[in-house]
Amino acid sequence: MKIRVERDGLADAVAWVARSLPSRPPVPVLGGVLLDAGATDGSEGLTVSGFDYEVSATVGVPATVADGGRTLVSGRLLADITKSLPAQPVEISVDGSRVAIACGSAKFSLPTMPVEDYPQLPAMPQHAGELAGEVFGQAVSQVAVAAGKDDTLPMLTGVRVEMTGEKLTLVATDRFRLAMREFEWKPSGDVEDAAVLVPARTLADAAKALGSAGRSVELALSPTDGLLGLSGSGRRTTSRLLDAEFPRYRQLLPSEQTSSAIIGVAPLVEAIKRVSLVADRGTQVRLEFADGVLRLSAGGDDEGSAEEELPVEFTGEPVMIAFNPGYLQDGLAALHADRAELSFTTPNRPALIKPVNADGEVTPGYLYLLMPVRLPG
Amino acid sequence: MGVWSQVVGQPDAVRVLGTAAVAARGLVDGTGTAAGMTHAWLFTGPPGSGRSVAARAFAAALQCTTPGEPGCGECQGCHTSMSGTHADVRMVVPEGLSISVAEMRALVQTSARRPTGGRWQVVIITDADRLTEGAANALLKAVEEPPARTVFLLCAPSDHPDDVSVTIRSRCRAIALRTPAAPAIAEVLRLRDGVDTDTAAWAASVSGGHVGRARRLATDPAARDRRAKVLRIPLHLRRLSDVFDCADDLVKAAETDASEVSGTRDEAERDALKTALGHGGTGKGAASATRGSAGAIKELEKRQKSRATRTQRDALDLALVDLAGFYRDVLVTHAGASVALNHPDHAEGSAQAAGSWTPESTLRRLEAVLACREALEQNVKPRIAIEAMVSAMHFG
Repeated sequence: MKIRVERDGLADAVAWVARSLPSRPPVPVLGGVLLDAGATDGSEGLTVSGFDYEVSATVGVPATVADGGRTLVSGRLLADITKSLPAQPVEISVDGSRVAIACGSAKFSLPTMPVEDYPQLPAMPQHAGELAGEVFGQAVSQVAVAAGKDDTLPMLTGVRVEMTGEKLTLVATDRFRLAMREFEWKPSGDVEDAAVLVPARTLADAAKALGSAGRSVELALSPTDGLLGLSGSGRRTTSRLLDAEFPRYRQLLPSEQTSSAIIGVAPLVEAIKRVSLVADRGTQVRLEFADGVLRLSAGGDDEGSAEEELPVEFTGEPVMIAFNPGYLQDGLAALHADRAELSFTTPNRPALIKPVNADGEVTPGYLYLLMPVRLPG
Repeated sequence: MGVWSQVVGQPDAVRVLGTAAVAARGLVDGTGTAAGMTHAWLFTGPPGSGRSVAARAFAAALQCTTPGEPGCGECQGCHTSMSGTHADVRMVVPEGLSISVAEMRALVQTSARRPTGGRWQVVIITDADRLTEGAANALLKAVEEPPARTVFLLCAPSDHPDDVSVTIRSRCRAIALRTPAAPAIAEVLRLRDGVDTDTAAWAASVSGGHVGRARRLATDPAARDRRAKVLRIPLHLRRLSDVFDCADDLVKAAETDASEVSGTRDEAERDALKTALGHGGTGKGAASATRGSAGAIKELEKRQKSRATRTQRDALDLALVDLAGFYRDVLVTHAGASVALNHPDHAEGSAQAAGSWTPESTLRRLEAVLACREALEQNVKPRIAIEAMVSAMHFG
């Protein structure tokens, strides 16, 4: 292999790919980045790829290829080297078991790793549609917060991605709360409606990496493959899908409500933080809604107790309900709104939290469903 | 040469697995039915019969992309499966003495993933007998009802409930490997390792059906010497003081054996990891990439150390099995039975012993060896257990 490539493109590509490499690779070859010149897909140029069995990352870089080929070198080392190169064309050539990198007067030599042992990179699935990067990034972060963190039930560690025509739905739940976001996107029309389950952590990482403002993200998916592909501005990633049945969640969403409250998010979060100081980890914060007043309380007679009152716009039957303060704060933080609507049926049925805009109207598209904690007595 | 050529002397197992691999390919293509393929397999067989090799070959056949018979051994799917880097083949090789619950919980997560290559997600547990009770229970649900394209391959020395819990065993299809026949082992040594015919035949005949041991004996003169030293012990116990010398020899031989095996392996692993973490580059500033990699290397060394304990124990056990085989030969010779000896090259010695010992005393010596193996299994200090055994061998 012998190629010439611009320094900036190379450094960006290598830095981005190396970022997703495992810091403690389970097998040594996974610590490497694959450099493929005169690539297998027939296009001229260099592709830089990394893979950790779970997520693959690939970037194309324009390059002048004198001699094609594939080689595998340490991702950390290559990232460090390319970062420090002067702004001049970079020449990369493979010589036996070492790779030589020359840039201006700087010369480097790296040991290669066995490229034939490198796992086959997953192929990008069929293009399914595209959407704005920041919308996608925000939606994923709003939903992934509700995904399960413990490993006992695989289906609860994923985010369900549903494509139905022009609408894309993301849902996640860990049994105690459920977050759902729906929004419009531009399907390509080539792929049938489908629903897949993507590991929440990898989806959140990929969305963060690609979902920067002003760029669009392309979604690639086919119901039969085991992969979700995301790409944008020359960068492509694939994540493996979970092969598990997601709970039927639509029936959990309450169809009616007996009361609702509209309240500022920031004061409520502050109050919850203060009140829950006396609640031992994982115990409840009680919310008592009456006309115009929300009374928060925690603790009991035997331990410390705290109370605080906040003004609230409340309609309906007065209600007393208790929540896990951590889950409640997660939900309020995920709204990305100044004000929230909380709606209830009874103290032992799930409550709904939705964002509210400046006019006091509920912004459609997002909801956070939270199971209450049983009240004592 | 296909992947099945690695599975030595197991024509029955290869036939069953080959059929399953063809059926599995039919399922992937959508042309076949589920008949013939199973979601969980348990490979059992005596030590050295190639349980994990068979499991790996099966995994390769499932990932093979070449048309025709699955398991070509040439394509990237086969190659990376055999070398342990395929994205859809997860291998659990316990390096310590047991497999923890946490490790199995993580594995259950892996098993819930869809395969990246669109074929099969294969999970191999090479020593399922080392699963703790909790770990086995954590695995149970996944083994019983894995996702459609996930296959579990468990390996264990036997399907005895002490080794693999009944609950796991009853959820697996069993593949029983047998002790490979000496000619089959000799053939492999000749073809794959380029050992000459006589040495190959000799090594195969004295290895007791342990393919890896036969290869070591055939290719490493030092290993041959150590074996000869061990087998000399029974006939060289004349005075009580010999007992301690011989016990010392035995322990030392096992230690050297183990450190040689792990030494070369550890170094290769450490080098590969260091390269992956950015060592070995030259040029201004290239050394900075190695910063922060010490932790990962230390972790590897810790794993290697815990594996070394195991390797040492295994080496000692092999020596004890050699000794037990010798006493068995003595009994066989005494009884005049016409069956193959464990150590045909020491037939003279066993005949001499058969002439001078009563069968009862030979049996007592054999019992002493077996008791020593059990004591070692229960973490008795090796030197003390061996000294006790050798003095029992001395008095008969």
